[in-house]
Amino acid sequence: MTSNTTFIDPTVLSSLDNLELRARVVVEGFVSGLHKSPHRGFSVEFTDYRHYYRGDDMRHVDWKLYARSDKFYIKQYEDETNVRCYVVLDSSASMGYSSGVMSKLEYGRTLASALAYFIMRQRDAVGLITFDEKVNEYIPALCRQPHLIRILRVLAGLQAGARTDVVRPLSDLASNLNRKSMVILISDMLDDEEQIIKTLQRLRSMGNDVIVFHVLDDAELHFRFQEATEFIDAETRESFITQPQSIRDAYLENLGNYLEFCKKQCQSSGVDYCLLNTSQPLDTALYSYISRRARSF
Amino acid sequence: MSFLSPLFLFGLLAAALPIAIHLIRKETPPKMVFGTLRFLKNTSKKLILFQQIQQWLLLLLRAAVISLLVFAFARPLFDGAIASLVDAAPESSVILVDASMSMRYGERSEQARAAAQDLLAGMSAGDEVAIVAFGGSALQVRELSTDLDGARAFLEALPEPGFEVTRFMPALRLANDLLESARHQSRSVHLISDFQASGMGNDDAGWVMSAGVRLNPVDVGAGPTRNLLLTDVRSPDQLIENQSEYEILARVRSTGSVHVDQADVRLLLDGVETARVPVNLTDLSEEVVRLPAVFDTAGTHRGEIRVGTDDFAVDNSYFFTVDVMARIRVLLVNGEPSANWYDDEAHWLGLAIAGSAESPFVVTRSSPRELDAELLAQHDVVVLLNAGSDLNSTQAGALNDFVREGGSLLLAPGDRVAAGPFNQLFGDISPATLEQPVRLAAGDYQLIADIDQRHPVMLPLGSDWGVRFEGFWMASAVADADVLMQFDNGSPALLERSVGQGRVMLFASALDTEWNNMPLQGLYLPFAHESLRYLAQASEKERAYRVGDVIDLSTAVAEQATLTITDAAGASTQLLAGNRLLTATTAGFLNIDDGESVQFYAVNPDPQESVLARIAPSALQDAVTNPETEPVQSEDVRTAQLIAEIEGPQRVWWWLLLLVMLMLLAETRVANTTYR
Repeated sequence: MTSNTTFIDPTVLSSLDNLELRARVVVEGFVSGLHKSPHRGFSVEFTDYRHYYRGDDMRHVDWKLYARSDKFYIKQYEDETNVRCYVVLDSSASMGYSSGVMSKLEYGRTLASALAYFIMRQRDAVGLITFDEKVNEYIPALCRQPHLIRILRVLAGLQAGARTDVVRPLSDLASNLNRKSMVILISDMLDDEEQIIKTLQRLRSMGNDVIVFHVLDDAELHFRFQEATEFIDAETRESFITQPQSIRDAYLENLGNYLEFCKKQCQSSGVDYCLLNTSQPLDTALYSYISRRARSF
Repeated sequence: MSFLSPLFLFGLLAAALPIAIHLIRKETPPKMVFGTLRFLKNTSKKLILFQQIQQWLLLLLRAAVISLLVFAFARPLFDGAIASLVDAAPESSVILVDASMSMRYGERSEQARAAAQDLLAGMSAGDEVAIVAFGGSALQVRELSTDLDGARAFLEALPEPGFEVTRFMPALRLANDLLESARHQSRSVHLISDFQASGMGNDDAGWVMSAGVRLNPVDVGAGPTRNLLLTDVRSPDQLIENQSEYEILARVRSTGSVHVDQADVRLLLDGVETARVPVNLTDLSEEVVRLPAVFDTAGTHRGEIRVGTDDFAVDNSYFFTVDVMARIRVLLVNGEPSANWYDDEAHWLGLAIAGSAESPFVVTRSSPRELDAELLAQHDVVVLLNAGSDLNSTQAGALNDFVREGGSLLLAPGDRVAAGPFNQLFGDISPATLEQPVRLAAGDYQLIADIDQRHPVMLPLGSDWGVRFEGFWMASAVADADVLMQFDNGSPALLERSVGQGRVMLFASALDTEWNNMPLQGLYLPFAHESLRYLAQASEKERAYRVGDVIDLSTAVAEQATLTITDAAGASTQLLAGNRLLTATTAGFLNIDDGESVQFYAVNPDPQESVLARIAPSALQDAVTNPETEPVQSEDVRTAQLIAEIEGPQRVWWWLLLLVMLMLLAETRVANTTYR
């Protein structure tokens, strides 16, 4: 990890109240890191090349490159990409849980804003959907600078809401998408995972690219509680008194089964699945996006 | 199982504390809003059940720890109750209850009964006990028995102490003898007494109880005592009419632990106070007071001297009787009247008994020829001086009848008496048969060699008889006669015989200076007075008796009469004909009624019993306890030893505390793995 990537650390980000600034820090730091990485060859500021395929406009062939490599490459301009991304952010009550400096919702909000900033920087259209048990905000995908401001404002004012219903907003979104899009789901997915997977598969079957950022808190992932605690469900308010040490193994087993299910189902459905720990930097999520973006377009 | 400290079991209530805390102070764990409970609630139901079991186990552990601590402090014992442990060593014991007069002081008697009841209460089934109420000797005895209820009833029925003296040793000997047949090896004597010093006596010095018999002294005589005692009273037992004025002496002494220095001494005659004299013992340990008395009528007068009022009223009075008699009429029958007064026996004897106007005797002189029944009836005592053999059978018969009907006769044969006629005439009444007169050679003589010092005549005379007998009668005593004096050759010198209601004495020599020099001796006059007084008033009645004395009534009342004896308390008993011995058991006056007249006898308690000085109970204990006997252990100590012996090997408390420690470890372990 380089020194620049430290700016993406959730601990640092949590000190930045301005969401736009936070998104910029994330993205700029991430991009800066990419330049220094030999494994990463993409930048929104760099013109891309691709192999020539029959039917391409010959005007776009880079002859200089042909002279050096004896191969045809098409110069790809940034205006050429026309991807519409929908960031679907879960703002249910369970997303408000935090065992550290940043809650899942905060983490998701930062991730969403960073993605929006990143997508807009690539001249792609980005939209936003926030939901809990219903869709709270719907911002259609556009590619204008003021639009990013609007998205960031919505994200900044986002509060943890009621119970989770992932299926409904995804189903609504699927019904409204009339062209291929990229759907980025940021959620803890603490709902009926089978229904969620089915909905994601439906989106995928419609030709959409789907990325799932499964955000979970570090405490949820490792359950390192020591003392007896009365746990209260953030959404149902149901309580459960237990000695964490005694049930930790069983908890982790249950959680592992659940995560494994989600991961396998997503992979088998062509859905990119990325499990995020709120205590970890955000670059993992960005890499996942870039990777998916590169494969798709 | 039993417990040595059962009160600690109340601590079991504390075992409810964990439960109460669990119910009342329900400590809630910290609350935490969590993303979802789906992964928690899906944990194994067995795990949840195990958690609940842990919680209950923790509760039970804490309650059990407290309970076990309580049980440990209560010192549990297996193998039966303590009582059964103590019963395992049954005891045979004798309870000696002092019932002497000194126990009437204050509430000693009640305390003694209570102490005895306490001892019985401390005994267990299987113990056997005997009870002896004692004074100078055993008064009431209940032999060894396991019937403790019977023993209690026996104690309740014991009479109040009377006038008995205290003697520890006879009672201890009896207790020791009773324990010889005891069934148990553990044997003890419980002596409940005021431990009067006079009770020790001197007769049994060095005697100890059998080995193994323990003495447990129970002292009920502690505390200060106040008592005034009439240690001695001098009063006449008999008075002649012309000696009716008298001065009675009383010696007063304070015998309690607290000195009493002021009191009044009063004299009551026939129930009427006649004199009162104050006594001051401030500077004296004792004082003699003089009480004037006038006995102006013949008969028996009852006298009582009372001193002060103290806490021991039973010895505040001294009782005595004074018999005032008429003058004794003496008939001197002179067988050898002489013109020379020194050869006249009647002269010497008359001079001795009637030499002054205050003489208690009225003397009549006569010759043998004048003697007849009428003359005899006018006299109390007849003295035959060198006479007898010259009397005719009528005169002799009259004399026999006179004696048998209660008259008294003194025979003093001399040289004018012939043995044969004398023995013939007086063989039925004379205490001796005359054999022959003896006249010793000049310069030779016989002395009085043996004297019955206990005889009333001899008692005041002493034994210093320097009389020389140059002539005397060899005589042989008849079967029912008593020899009061003997010559140094073994021949009787003075004899006595009771005949019918009368009494006959024979002096085997002359009463003038012809055969001896006795009239010239100082003994002559008292001998004559005592002999004639004895013959005239043969009763052996004393002016005052002590409790425990045996009173011989044979000379005072008719042999065949049935006597009714009434004591000072009013209790009457019958004394049948033939039985004339009466044991005095109560202080005061005894009224003895033979149907015709009433006689009074005065009885006083033993003054030793009024001396309230005490000995240390431990001194008596040390004196009579066998050196081989183990030291006395109290019931508490004995029980504690039994407990220690049985509890020691068990050490139940030790195991309980060990279990508590283990449970505390378990509690810590369980408490760390659960939230409560």
